[in-house]
Amino acid sequence: MTAVLVIEDDDRIRLALLLALEDEGYEAVGAATAEEGLRVQRRDPADYVLVDLMLPGLDGFECIRHLRRDDDVPVVVVSARDDTHDIVAALEAGADDYIVKPVAIKELTARLRALRRRARAGVTGPAPEPVPVLAFGELEISPDGGEVRRAGKPVPVTRTEFRLLCELAEHAGRVLSRQQLLQRVWGYDSGDERLVDVHVGRLRQKIESDPATPRHLVTLRGLGYKLQR
Amino acid sequence: MRRLGLRTRVTAAFAVGALLLAASMALVSYELTRRSLIDERERTALRAAYFDAAVVRAGLNTDTPDVVEVLRSLDTGGGRRPVLHLDGAWYARTADPGTTTAIPVDLRRAVASGEPAVQRVRVAGQPALVVGVPLSATATYFEINSLRELEQTFQVLALALTTVAIMVAGSGAALGWYATRHGLRPLTAVADAAEKIAAGDFTARLDPATDPDLTRLSSSFNQMVDQLAHRIERDRRFAADVSHELRSPLQTLAAAASVLARRREHLDERTATAAGLVADEIDRFQRLVNDLIDLARSDQPAHRQAVDVVALARDACQALDLPASLVHLAADAPATWQVERRRIAQILANLLDNAVTYGGGPAGVRLSRDGDAGVIEVEDDGPGVSIEDRQAIFDRFVRGRAAHTRGAGDGTGLGLALVAQHAAAHRGHATVTDRPGGGARFRVTLPESLP
Repeated sequence: MTAVLVIEDDDRIRLALLLALEDEGYEAVGAATAEEGLRVQRRDPADYVLVDLMLPGLDGFECIRHLRRDDDVPVVVVSARDDTHDIVAALEAGADDYIVKPVAIKELTARLRALRRRARAGVTGPAPEPVPVLAFGELEISPDGGEVRRAGKPVPVTRTEFRLLCELAEHAGRVLSRQQLLQRVWGYDSGDERLVDVHVGRLRQKIESDPATPRHLVTLRGLGYKLQR
Repeated sequence: MRRLGLRTRVTAAFAVGALLLAASMALVSYELTRRSLIDERERTALRAAYFDAAVVRAGLNTDTPDVVEVLRSLDTGGGRRPVLHLDGAWYARTADPGTTTAIPVDLRRAVASGEPAVQRVRVAGQPALVVGVPLSATATYFEINSLRELEQTFQVLALALTTVAIMVAGSGAALGWYATRHGLRPLTAVADAAEKIAAGDFTARLDPATDPDLTRLSSSFNQMVDQLAHRIERDRRFAADVSHELRSPLQTLAAAASVLARRREHLDERTATAAGLVADEIDRFQRLVNDLIDLARSDQPAHRQAVDVVALARDACQALDLPASLVHLAADAPATWQVERRRIAQILANLLDNAVTYGGGPAGVRLSRDGDAGVIEVEDDGPGVSIEDRQAIFDRFVRGRAAHTRGAGDGTGLGLALVAQHAAAHRGHATVTDRPGGGARFRVTLPESLP
């Protein structure tokens, strides 16, 4: 059974979400504070973590950073706040997705399923046929091994970042629009393009020697992104 | 008749004032100059006539005087013509029939009484001055002085003074125009600022430092704008805050409703109906809150990027279970427009939703161009929109009359308001007209979105 950790300080929302998620076949666990949530996750890791941003004590952004430090569990923010500032900050802190309250349970579970599809190839099972390691200068991507190396050293990336990188690597030298990436990496028919921009920004921090003037992961204004040698 | 503007009136008053002043000055100077010149001329003419008369008198004092020779001996130049009336006969240097008639009878009479006299006359259309000096009981000496040169001087003088008067009037008008422009500049600044504010730019302010006399106007204007902006911002924030505050409880309701919905078959009929109503209304409530939040922040300008509008329109149709074949792209229009994806998707969704709810389903979605503007048209077969409703339909919480008669009222009442606001964010607008052949045609124009 897939386990979901819900970190939400509002008791009623938490209870309702737990009930609804259990109805949808998830094993749902609740936590009222970030500290409690982090404790639960360390002791008994869930497959997904839903986080509210406004939490007493440690706030949602800090909570995401702590979660990211420990492992690459998919983290989805579920917040009533929808300022660009909050969304970008949460994604930059390491969240994989951002959902604005209120969200219908069907929509929430659809997003969780999409996240599952883009879980690491090595985690979801053996690939039907081996894909060779893709090299972009000193950058090496091994889609099967779920590994990214720069100048021989492994680069720690989250599942979403890895999926994004693989998608771009499979279409090396070709431009993918933000909508195409949203569809292929996040599984959205239409969604917030800031999601793509923030993840690309985070990837650049990890794979580019100078993230401000990227050499491999380049932006084509008004078109999208391209990975090149 | 339209009332003349302040500027025109002030300019005209300046011009008329200057003209009156200049004209009276010119008239007075003309008269004074003229009088003094004529007086001077009369004195000169009189002196010359006395001198000539003395010469003639001396010439006549011989036994057999040759009158004509005497007259010819006078050094009169071209300006004076001597005439002698001697023993009832007229003598002149040359035979000139007009000369004698030029001497008026009353002058002759006055001179005949023994006194020299002067009179101004016209000789053959030319101005002249006639001086008469009695020589003896039977002889009278007359001299006709041409005033032609003097007259020409007067004409030049009059012309010069008229020109000056006209120029002064023109300068007066220019001064008035300039003064009002200068004087009205603060008002122009106020008008500019007011226009900017009306267009939604609440940062527009007047500079209170420009003119100390207008500090009060500027500061009270700025204060008014500050308060207005503050009030609008407060209202906007209140709407946004309320909507945000509603989101959290709505999340509870949405999750709880889905739990109820899952168990609908286990509930008795009445409870299931009630649970269904709750779920539907929560759904509508959610859309209302989302629309309100969208409205609260949609007054910012659009973030344009290249968007495949045809694909977007087809997606919007499919999302409402409508055939994608409804979408038509005009031959001269490209499929990719420079627009904000989220807003255009919402425009399409709301127009289609409106057509489904009030127009009996959309009859077509047409994408075309109008210059550099992308045009989205959604048509339906419904009853159309009456002329008096065509403006109000884009206001908030206005729903079609059909909604009241049908009692459906499924919409949030904000759909078309959002359409209008998203169009405005692209510096465009939304309108509704009759569709040829019945129904309504909603048209959204998005300027600067096509190359």
